[in-house]
Amino acid sequence: MDDIDAMFSDLLGEMDLLTQSLGVETLPPEPPSSSSKENNFSMGFADMNVESLNELEENDLDALMADLMADLNDTEEKLAAELGGQKEAEAPHPDLPPASHGLSFYPESSLSTPTSPERGPNTFSAPLADSPAPILSPPTLPQHAKLSMEEIEAQMKADKIKLALEKLKEAKVKKLVVKVVMHDGSSKTLMVDERQTVRDVLDNLFEKTHCDCNVDWSLSETNPELQLERGFEDHENLVDPLSAWTRDSENKVLFQERPDKYEVFKNPQNFYLWKKDKKTIKDMKDRDKELLVEENFCGTSIIVPDLEGVLYLREDGKKSWKQRLFLLRASGIYYVPKGKSKTSRDLVCFVQFDNVNVYYGKEFKNKYKAPTDFCFVLKHPQIQKESQYIKYLCCDDAWTMNLWVTGIRIAKYGKSLYENYKTSMKKAAITTAWTNRTAGTTSIPSTPSPTTKAKASGQANGHAPQPPAEPVAKVGNAPPPPPPMLPTQILPPPPPDPVLPPPPPPQATKKSPPATSVPRQLPSLPTSFPPLPTSMANLPPPPPSLSQDDSSESPPDFLPPPPPTLGFGPGAGSLPPPPPVSFLPPPPPDPAPPPRQSNIGAGAPPPPPPPPSASAGLQSTPSVRRTGPPPPKRTTPPLAAPGGGDFMSELAKAMAKKRGNQ
Amino acid sequence: MAAWDLSVTVEELGPEAPPLKVSVTSDLHIGGVILKIVEKTQIKKDWSDHALWWEQKQQWLLRPSWTLEKYEIHADARLSLTPQHKPLRLGLPNGTTLRLQACFSRPVFQTVMGVCHLLNLRHPEELSLLRPMEVKKKKKDKEAEEEVVYDLTGLRTSSGPAHTLSNGMPMHFADSLQTEAVYKMLSVSLPAPAPETITKMPRPTSLMDKAQVHSRWLDSSRSLLQQGVQEHDRLLLRFKYYCFHDLDPKYDAVRLTQLYEQARWAILLEDVDCTEEEMMLFAALQYHIGKVSLSEPQPMTSCPAMDDLDSALQCLEVKMEAEESITADMLETMTVAPELQDYLKIFRPKRLTLKGYKQFWFAFNNTSISYYKSKEESLKEPIQQMNLKGCEVAPDVSVAGQKFCIRLLIPGAEGMNEVYLRCENELQYSRWMAACRLASKGKTLADSSFSSEVQNIQSFLAMQRTNPGANIAQTDDSINTYSLVSPRYHKKYKAKQLTPRILEAYQNVAQLPLTDALLRFLQIWQGLPDFGVSYFVVRFKGCRKDEVLGVTNNRLIRIDLSIGDVVKTWRYNTMRQWNVNWDIQQMAIEFNGNVNIAFSCVTATCKIVHEYIGGYIFMATRTKEQAEVLNQELFFKLTGGHEAI
Repeated sequence: MDDIDAMFSDLLGEMDLLTQSLGVETLPPEPPSSSSKENNFSMGFADMNVESLNELEENDLDALMADLMADLNDTEEKLAAELGGQKEAEAPHPDLPPASHGLSFYPESSLSTPTSPERGPNTFSAPLADSPAPILSPPTLPQHAKLSMEEIEAQMKADKIKLALEKLKEAKVKKLVVKVVMHDGSSKTLMVDERQTVRDVLDNLFEKTHCDCNVDWSLSETNPELQLERGFEDHENLVDPLSAWTRDSENKVLFQERPDKYEVFKNPQNFYLWKKDKKTIKDMKDRDKELLVEENFCGTSIIVPDLEGVLYLREDGKKSWKQRLFLLRASGIYYVPKGKSKTSRDLVCFVQFDNVNVYYGKEFKNKYKAPTDFCFVLKHPQIQKESQYIKYLCCDDAWTMNLWVTGIRIAKYGKSLYENYKTSMKKAAITTAWTNRTAGTTSIPSTPSPTTKAKASGQANGHAPQPPAEPVAKVGNAPPPPPPMLPTQILPPPPPDPVLPPPPPPQATKKSPPATSVPRQLPSLPTSFPPLPTSMANLPPPPPSLSQDDSSESPPDFLPPPPPTLGFGPGAGSLPPPPPVSFLPPPPPDPAPPPRQSNIGAGAPPPPPPPPSASAGLQSTPSVRRTGPPPPKRTTPPLAAPGGGDFMSELAKAMAKKRGNQ
Repeated sequence: MAAWDLSVTVEELGPEAPPLKVSVTSDLHIGGVILKIVEKTQIKKDWSDHALWWEQKQQWLLRPSWTLEKYEIHADARLSLTPQHKPLRLGLPNGTTLRLQACFSRPVFQTVMGVCHLLNLRHPEELSLLRPMEVKKKKKDKEAEEEVVYDLTGLRTSSGPAHTLSNGMPMHFADSLQTEAVYKMLSVSLPAPAPETITKMPRPTSLMDKAQVHSRWLDSSRSLLQQGVQEHDRLLLRFKYYCFHDLDPKYDAVRLTQLYEQARWAILLEDVDCTEEEMMLFAALQYHIGKVSLSEPQPMTSCPAMDDLDSALQCLEVKMEAEESITADMLETMTVAPELQDYLKIFRPKRLTLKGYKQFWFAFNNTSISYYKSKEESLKEPIQQMNLKGCEVAPDVSVAGQKFCIRLLIPGAEGMNEVYLRCENELQYSRWMAACRLASKGKTLADSSFSSEVQNIQSFLAMQRTNPGANIAQTDDSINTYSLVSPRYHKKYKAKQLTPRILEAYQNVAQLPLTDALLRFLQIWQGLPDFGVSYFVVRFKGCRKDEVLGVTNNRLIRIDLSIGDVVKTWRYNTMRQWNVNWDIQQMAIEFNGNVNIAFSCVTATCKIVHEYIGGYIFMATRTKEQAEVLNQELFFKLTGGHEAI
């Protein structure tokens, strides 16, 4: 038993080292190899109700397959890295349960054990072969540890067990296969992991489509039964709300532009100064808008627009709509009871936002005999059918509805909303830079092709979801075989060299916690290879793939960039942090990229010039937001009694200083 | 030049002593005069803090190199030689009173800076001094009830940046145990007051009352003595400008605590209106903050005895032991996830069903509850499994009636399912309740907060047991719920009605660390629509009735005095200039687009309103730089009025 303990602690220590070497200290650690395998293993089960895979078309299936393969390969790579570095992370796992008494409570642990056998079919990744061998080594170390200070060891053991438990917990990651309906009515099938935020999925979609990546792009869900629609917030986890859908749900996930998503940051005056006359709102200067955003979103607390107005409320049970005076506060929506004043103490709470989401209602005039079609609804996300627990409200016009829905979102999500917006802006700025830059250059890589394929395919159709291990087998007897195989052949290069692979993952994890998004891009290249030449001829816009590069997620794909920076000395000088990061990865080029690079080169010359343009774009966008030096709060009291002549200048100086510092 | 006699009163000679006569010439400078006086008194002491005060003109003669002539002092002038720093009683936001040495000769702005430096409050520009409300109400035995006064008069600070000890306490507080105690009082929120204390305090009932408060601010650009403040007078130190710059818990222990105290009292005394739901959340936070500040070992006490190595080592040892036990605990909670299964009664209210609880065997599994016919069948398929993630959990408890029910509203596709679970006793209830709460937030029993959650529920149950009539201040665990809400809710609810409501709000904040809880309280306070509005009754030019002007950190609000409705708002960033006509005490403000307003002030002097607006504009000029030096000159220019130039 002692030996096992020691072995276990030793192993954990190793794992620790490994994860650290992967550069994932603070961020949600990349699950250890066992866990990522587990991902693959469990994925696809939970999704049945979300999307019956039977509906997937073959093309979709291909794409999906590629995704799956990506995950697998990723896993392998990581595994390889870990194994190479330390010689056995996996094998001792079966011993875990006995080592710590509590472990048996965690189903995951028992689940994770089978992963090792699972390895069998996947052995295409070379390094795996080493894995079984090193099992022997651990037992040697235990004695050392044992001999010396027992207490400390016990302590360490406790820590490690805790660590292991955390890791194991993380191993149980749910994945969904989601069909996303694109703005043109076509659809695309994605695999989404429990930890992925809407932002991650959007980024993923940006890569797969030719959209301009502006901030309005959003994912939303529709519920045809209730005639509801809601844009997901970027920080939300996508899997959570989808899990609430019923088995027979006709709900859909849409990928579309929603101008209302961040309207509040573009025109804050419409929300915060809605009481003012239309003209002042319209004539609002940019820097006044900035100031408004700053006032309401950058202080110690988020200020919710103080909305009040008469709305129609659908009475519980009854089919009638009654008017009431509603007020929005940070703590919820309130109404003024009959015969009472609208002072705070008299207000009656109508709803608080902890457990409800806000949805737009579609065509409620028909459905519920609403006074207008401008309705919104508050309900628990789990509720999918008609229920007395759904609250229906109706506004006089679209404007008011927008005001309320946005106000509620601010109250509910607070600062996250603004953070999301800033992230989107960054993303959009980089992408526009890329697009501008590359618009001229003919073409590029390979990513576009799957996109077109998928787009063209339209509806989905396909097979039931399978555990990841299976795809490989299936692939064998289905048309798609080439793609999955290809990646395996192309990808192996990185794994063999255990030192190299680590760099990319950390990069990726830092940028976008859900690590799974990383691998997906890798394979997307190879998969699409065969059809590439044809589709590329008429597909000039390469932005998606570029943006992907920007996000610094898959550096190895685009190694060539470095040279360009030289030509644009000044621009490069002022480069904001993001682009540089994305170009840092180049170091790892040596083994992995060459093959791919050459392939790419064959299709089209690699796009070297991107970075400068990125800087240009970045410069321009910030300039919109950051300039406006004249301080908005400037008061010019030239005649002011208190001030003398130079007083104004001093005030201006102070303001300028303040601005400058921000 | 002819010599003449100048009469000067010197306090040190006693109140009865006649003024000293010194023979001077008009070209003698002030320094010389003081020297002569000091020589004449024949008292040996440190006179360096003394300065001459010209009583008729209400003016300090602070420039030693100026001559009498330049000050236009003639033989009829009656001067007195008096210390510039005098003891002052200072009421703090937390309700305590400090006695300390304050500067009576410099502008109040600088006096406040000095006081804040002493108390380790950053950003003194946000605070100012307020005259206390005159207590004219029937002079019942108020005198008997002497306020507790903390004495800091002996405390001297070094000039320059305050050196702080590792625990954040400035050096100068480490002088003695008393001063350390004072620092603790400053930096840790005080226990909840007894309900009757709250009820006895004056509360504003109308906008008019709220406006009255602001008439009592002292003028920042004049000295205390000039404003008639005498030695040992009582003044209140308050946050005046509601924009709290760069609030950093690391450096701002005192500031954060005092800000919280000011906010708490503003809520309790209905100074800022809030809704019932908000009040419950404030109450829950107060309860939590009170509890955590009491229990948390405060890092405030310094260890002066630490000089010998032994004690240091001992200290270290104790620490390590403690840590060890913590990890041991952790291990325990980690490895042995508490199991929870028992016979409970369940009831699902449905239309047309008779109310009846049925007994089943219940088991908690992750975030779900499963129930079975009996314990023996618990290995088979459960009758039903309910996932509590995202559900609403509410207590339905009466300790007196021995009823311990948990009301669950479990979301499902079809709507919310209402389920009642009935427990037998307090212990069972608190465990299941805690589990349900955690599950609703997606946590399992294995979560480390489970046991503390159980304890919280038990202490709340204990609260229900205590006699609601007893007026006791907060002690360890028991607390009177009336101490946490404003008197309006004393009338509206019985204590036992309040308890579950506060408990409900409490579950959302129970796990917050102290600082986060304080910050959360402040955030919600700042999120209130009426937050940060300072009211003044004014009369707009061309209007016949009084109206209210609300001054906030970014706008001016015109409010109807009788109804309280907002008539119009003007934002500072559209302001072009403002002027004060001191003769007719009228303020005129011009906004962009040729919007001009002018008003005279009714409740407060024009200077106070002017200073408020100028002050906010000054606050907006501050940068985020840490090491920024306070630009006093600019402050005075923006707020000073004519004499400040």
